[in-house]
Amino acid sequence: MADILVQNLHKEFGAGADKVVALDDVSLDFGGHVFVSVVGASGCGKSTLLNILSGIETPTNGTVSITQDGRPARAGYVFQAARLLPWRTVLDNLLFVQDDRSAQTRERCQRYLEMVQLGDKAKKFPGELSGGMQQRVGIARAFSTEPDVLFMDEPFSHLDAITARVLRAELHAMWQATGKTVVFVTHDVGEAVELSNRILVFAKGGRLAEDVPVDLPFPRDVSDSDVALAKADVFRTFERIGALNPA
Amino acid sequence: MTTAVAPVSTDGPRRVSEEELARRARRRQRFKTWFWRLAGYAFFLGLWEFASGRFMPETLLPGPSAVFATFGDLWATGKVPDAFATTLTRIAIGFALAFVVGVLVGMLMQNRFLAGFFRDAVTIGVTTPGLIWALITAIIFGNREAGPLIAIVLTTFAIITVNVSEGIKTLPTDLIDMARSFGVGVLKRNRHIVIPHLAPFVFTGVRFGFSMAWKVTVLTEVFSSSSGIGFEMRTATQLFRLPEFLTWILAFYVLALFLEKVVLEVIERRFFAWRKTIRS
Amino acid sequence: MRARRFLTGPLSGRLAFPLVCLAVWLLTVELVTAVWPFAVDVLPTPLQVGEFMWNELTGETLAPHNVYETFWISLQRLGIGMLIAMVIGSVIGLGMGLSTSVNAFFNDWVVAILAMPNLAWALFCSLAFGFGDIGPIVTVVLTAVPYVIINVREGVRNTPSELYDMADAFGVPRERTIRHVLIPSLMPFLFAAGRYAFALGWKGLVVAEVFGGQDGAGWTIKFWYDAHRAYGVVGYALLFVIFALIFEKLLFDKLSDRFFRWRPATSGEVVEEQFTAADTVEESRRG
Repeated sequence: MADILVQNLHKEFGAGADKVVALDDVSLDFGGHVFVSVVGASGCGKSTLLNILSGIETPTNGTVSITQDGRPARAGYVFQAARLLPWRTVLDNLLFVQDDRSAQTRERCQRYLEMVQLGDKAKKFPGELSGGMQQRVGIARAFSTEPDVLFMDEPFSHLDAITARVLRAELHAMWQATGKTVVFVTHDVGEAVELSNRILVFAKGGRLAEDVPVDLPFPRDVSDSDVALAKADVFRTFERIGALNPA
Repeated sequence: MTTAVAPVSTDGPRRVSEEELARRARRRQRFKTWFWRLAGYAFFLGLWEFASGRFMPETLLPGPSAVFATFGDLWATGKVPDAFATTLTRIAIGFALAFVVGVLVGMLMQNRFLAGFFRDAVTIGVTTPGLIWALITAIIFGNREAGPLIAIVLTTFAIITVNVSEGIKTLPTDLIDMARSFGVGVLKRNRHIVIPHLAPFVFTGVRFGFSMAWKVTVLTEVFSSSSGIGFEMRTATQLFRLPEFLTWILAFYVLALFLEKVVLEVIERRFFAWRKTIRS
Repeated sequence: MRARRFLTGPLSGRLAFPLVCLAVWLLTVELVTAVWPFAVDVLPTPLQVGEFMWNELTGETLAPHNVYETFWISLQRLGIGMLIAMVIGSVIGLGMGLSTSVNAFFNDWVVAILAMPNLAWALFCSLAFGFGDIGPIVTVVLTAVPYVIINVREGVRNTPSELYDMADAFGVPRERTIRHVLIPSLMPFLFAAGRYAFALGWKGLVVAEVFGGQDGAGWTIKFWYDAHRAYGVVGYALLFVIFALIFEKLLFDKLSDRFFRWRPATSGEVVEEQFTAADTVEESRRG
C-alpha cells in the first residue's frame, strides 16, 4: 500500500503552434488499499498521467512522490497491449522483471501464474496464447514483483466483452487478496464503477474535473440499481464538464 | 523497482522563441545531415584517390581523377556514343519482350491450372543467376543478336510476373463489388478500379526488371557480342587496361542509375501522385 | 468430378510444367537439327544433359575436380566472404540505424554499391588481385555487404520501443534488457541478412570465379563453356540451381524453424511468406 502525492502537475508536448497541453495543474493525494480509476475521453491526458506516475515520461512542471512508509514505493505495471517478449516463454517473461532468479522467485512467479489460471502455460510462448491469456500474463507479471502500487493503462480495452468481464472479476479478487494500491486508467465508465473506490474524471485539456467517491459494497454488478445509478452519476459529471460535446 | 520523488525544474521553455527554436533545430538537423553526407563523399572519393598508387599500383586501381581523364580520352575516339547506343537498343528490345511475356504470364496465372504450371517457372526465373542464361545463350547462339535478347527475357520476365500476379491477388474486391452494386459497367470498372490498382505493381516490376536487364545485357555482351559496352569492357580487360575498363563500366553505371533512380522514379511519382500519402 | 477438379487444379499444372518443358526442348532440338544439321553439337539433348549430370554426381568428370570438391571450394570462399560481410555490415548497419549522421555519411555509398553489377566487381577483382581466392572472396563481400547493412539498419529502426518502456517501468537492469530485448529483436533481421548474403553472394561468387578463379563452381562452368560442351554448361547450371535451392530450403528453413520457435505457427507462415516474397524481389534486383 503506497501513498501517492501529486502536486501541480503540468505536461505539454511539442512547441509553438503544435503545442498540446496534456495535463494542466493536476494535484492528487491518496493511498492505502484503494482502487482509483481515472476516466475521461481520449486525449484528456489520462494516459499521460499514468506514464508520469510510472516514470516513463517526465513532467514539464510539478512534483510526484510515491512512497511506502516513507521510502520510495515499488510499482508494477499493466499495459494496454500486454507487452510481452515474444521470444521468451511465459515464465521467462515473469522472470525478466524480477530482481533475482532464485528458486524462491521462480516459485512465486509460478504461483501468480496459477492465480490467473495459467499455471499450465508457463512453458508456452506468448504467440501461442489468446489475447485474453496474454493480458493475464501481463497482470501476473505486474503482481509477481510484489509491488506496493499497481498502474494499469486500459488493460482490458483490447479484449472482447466476455473475456474482459472475467478478467475484471479476477483482478478484483487479486486486489482484495493482496491489498495493493491500484491506479487504473480506463475510458469505460461501467468498468470504473464496477472496480473502484474513487473515480477521477478528467476533462479536455488535461484538467482534473471531478473526484467521485464510490461507496458501494463489493462485488458489484453493473445491472445492480445502485451501480447503475453511480454510473449515471459519472455520466452526468461528463455532461456538466462538457466532455460529451463534439470537439 | 523504485519511483522516487521527482523534483522537476520549474522554469519551462520560453514561449517567445519556441517556434523559432523548432525551426532552427530543423535547419541545424538538415545542415548536419548534408555535412555528413558530403563528408561521406569526400571520405570515399578521397580514399579511392589516395589508395590508387599507394596501396595498389595505379595500373590496377586508377583513382577517380584518372577515370575522369580516361573518359575524356574515350569520348575523343568517338566510340562512346556508338557503344552506348548499341547496348541501350538491346536493353530496350529485350526488356520490351520481357515485359510482354511477364505481364502475359502474370495474367494467365489467374487460372488455377496455369498458376501451378508457371509457379516453378517463376521460381527458376527468379533464382537462376543471369550468368547462367548468359553462358547458355552465348554457347547456343554465338554472337547472333538473339542471344542477349533471350537472356534478358529469361532473367527479367519473372520479376514482372511476380509483381503483376501480386497486384491481381490484391485486387480491391470491395471496391469492385461497390461499383457493381451501383451498376457500373465492366469497362468503366476496369478503367477506374482495376487499371489504377494494377499500374503501381506493374511499375514496380518495371523498375526492378530494368535494374536486372541492364546488368544481364552487359554480361551477355562480355561473353558473346562484338559491340556494346560489355564488348568494350572485355576488350579493355584482355588488353589489361584497367582505367579504360573502369571508365566503361562506371560511365554506363551512372547512366543506368540515372534512368533507374531519376527518370523512372520521376515518372512514377507523376503518375501515382495519389499514393504519396501512403509513402510519406 | 473429383478427377476433373484435379486436372484443372494447380498441382496438375505443376506436374505438367517439367513435362511440357521436356517436350518443347526435344521438339526444338529435332526441328533445329532437321533444318540445320550442324546444330547437333550446339544444342544438347535432355539425355546428354542427364548423362552428364549423372556422371558428375557419381564423381566421374573430365574437369580437374569432381563436383563435390568443386562446390566445397566455392562454399569455403562463400563462407569466408559472408562472414566478413556480416561483420562489416552489422557494424555499419548498427551505426546507421542509431545515428542520422552516420546514416548520411554512408547511405549514398551503400545504394551505389548495391546497384553495381557483380560483373564489375568480379572483373575488377580478377584484374586487381589476380587468379586465386582473394578476388572471389572480395566480390562476395562487396556483393553481400549492402544487403547486410540495410537489414541490420532496418532491425535497429524497428526496435520494439514499447518493450524498452516496459523494461524501464519495471526497472530491469540495462545488460538484461540488451540480452533479452535488443538481441532477440535483432535476430530475425540478422537472419534475413544472412539469407541475402548467401543468395546474392553465391551469384557474385560464381561470376567472380568465371573471370578470376582457378577452380570452384564458376570456373568449372567456364571450363565447359570454353570446351564448347553445351551439355556441360546446361548440366552444371542445373547443378548450381539445385545446390542453391538445397541450401535455401533445407538449411535456412530448418535454421529459421529452430531460431524462431517463438513465432506462432499460423502467423509464422505468413511472416515467412512475406519474407520470401520480399526476398525474391530484392534478390532478383541483383540479376
